[in-house]
Amino acid sequence: MSQAIELIRELSDAGASPKATIAKSMKETGKEAFGCFPIYVPEEIIYAAGYLPVGLWGGHPDIKRVDRYIQSFCCSIMRSNMEMGIRGDYDFLAGLVIPTYCDSMKAILANWWVAVPNAKPIPFSVIQNRASKGSLDFVLAQLATFRKAVGELRGEPVSDQAIEDAFALYEDYRAAMRAFTKAAARVPATITPTLRHLIIKAAYYIDKKVYTEKIKALNEALAAMPEERTEGPKVIVTGLLAEPESFLDLFTENGYAFMGDDLAQESRQFRTEARKEGTALERMAYRVLDQRGDTFYYEDDKSRGTMLKNMVKETGSDAVVVCMYKFCDPEEFDYPVYKKELDEAGIPILYLEIEQKMDSVESLRTRIQSFAEMLSLS
Amino acid sequence: MFLGIDIGSSSSKAVLLDKGGAILGREVVNLGTGSGAIDDVIDVLLEKAGVDRGDILYSVVTGYGRIGYEKADTQITEIGCHAKGVYHDFPEARSIIDIGGQDAKVIRLGDGGRVDNFVMNEKCAAGTGRFFEVMARVLNCSLDDLSGLAAEAEYAVAISSTCTVFAESEVISQLSAGASPASVAWGAHKSVAKRIAGLSGRLGLIPEIVMTGGVALNQSMVRAMEEEIETSILVPESPQTVGALGAAVYAKEKYESASRDQSLQ
Repeated sequence: MSQAIELIRELSDAGASPKATIAKSMKETGKEAFGCFPIYVPEEIIYAAGYLPVGLWGGHPDIKRVDRYIQSFCCSIMRSNMEMGIRGDYDFLAGLVIPTYCDSMKAILANWWVAVPNAKPIPFSVIQNRASKGSLDFVLAQLATFRKAVGELRGEPVSDQAIEDAFALYEDYRAAMRAFTKAAARVPATITPTLRHLIIKAAYYIDKKVYTEKIKALNEALAAMPEERTEGPKVIVTGLLAEPESFLDLFTENGYAFMGDDLAQESRQFRTEARKEGTALERMAYRVLDQRGDTFYYEDDKSRGTMLKNMVKETGSDAVVVCMYKFCDPEEFDYPVYKKELDEAGIPILYLEIEQKMDSVESLRTRIQSFAEMLSLS
Repeated sequence: MFLGIDIGSSSSKAVLLDKGGAILGREVVNLGTGSGAIDDVIDVLLEKAGVDRGDILYSVVTGYGRIGYEKADTQITEIGCHAKGVYHDFPEARSIIDIGGQDAKVIRLGDGGRVDNFVMNEKCAAGTGRFFEVMARVLNCSLDDLSGLAAEAEYAVAISSTCTVFAESEVISQLSAGASPASVAWGAHKSVAKRIAGLSGRLGLIPEIVMTGGVALNQSMVRAMEEEIETSILVPESPQTVGALGAAVYAKEKYESASRDQSLQ
């Protein structure tokens, strides 16, 4: 138990302090940091090149300069990232990758060259059609382009063996994370919604090898603990992300147990296991093609609703909590489709509109508490 | 005796129930959370009812100020309380439209006054009591007179802005262009009704529909809402205190449930 508490404290502190954690990781590994914009980028190639990949998922800067470049209706992650880029927060990064998952990201990619002239982001084009004959070739071509650009930045090509090793490490990390989300659901009083998020988030700032060892140790420690119950509802959380901590604290206060998540910042990063055959690059490409129920990867059959229903059933959850990130068009487009399916299945939905920087969470407090009261009395 | 307390954003309310569930009294003061007015409200309520604080068996607090109020035995949200309060007076009700000072809620009820589902407005004053305060200021009348002014209108001036700040500018422009204050006042009511109807549409309204909250005192607003949803609306005798009534009902239930548990042990 004491080992679990120590690891929970260490990892949640790391997740709560990105800047300090990145600085510590750089010092301990001797690596230069490489910034990764949301949602998914080929981190394995960055790692294989000897960099420390770090996630850039916004922050809480005072917005002063960004309106010169992007509109007020872009999401607050993109606005925060751009603001911090302009004011020099990312000057320490050796490199930066900006993928093209949404219109805001495409605008930022184009503007970054002007707004932050010292940093030259490497673009990563996201596949739109994953079901055609040429889909695999397209992703492989994008990975090759990215590999070449990272190698040029590094001053030496990224070797096949380094990519194989990095991919094996990342698969190990992803398996450990899948095990962690299950372990956390067993002990929801210990791994509260707030701590769960911070522990998962810490992976964006710590070297994957170091982090994976720690999360495996935490999984073992949690497995040794007796199963726990909380007083509130058991839920599946879906959306882009669930932040800030003051928002997650409301779930903790009301005894919610997060039984699983479909958050882009959390489980969507690691829920799809790679195929066993092929080179590391082919397996990386297939992971992109095999990811299901994901807002950011188009599907004809829109499987997200079915996936959420299955998650509720498999985990014995009471409801789905939708964390709708303000101005996130892809997530907003998906909502009516899966809402209809959940309604038809009789699964209650708590819809919450959130932003990364929220000065007051009182209205959200009423909704979250009311939903718990509603489910407890039904 | 059982005490229900509702500390809202712009008013504080309290209701006292006797052991049989009959209402002994209710009080409202138009000062909300942070003002400390709730203690005066409770003092007045108890004095009028001739009840000592020591006679209160259980108390429940609700409303935005519930978290900071530590003198009650427990707290629950106003959504659950409005459901219980409405069920107390209108057991046949299936939907509630609650428009308060700074938020609006639509609640759907199941059997026994259970909350089946609910929606709330987003972070915006349009469609709340705050919108009427702004309109009254622009029209240079009191909030109480706004409803009567709207009732005099022969037509409604269309207010297209969904934001309170923009709507204020729009209304000033309309008045400058010669629109009558009455038609602007009625237009403001229709504008709020449209927003609430839109919110209701996300949930689906099932009759009987009851309107609660301070804005339900505004008869023009009730009429505008009825026209918008094309259904008649029931209004409690004291719509502002429905949340506090629900809190008192919950206090009674909680006390009786705890007493039953004790007697079983």
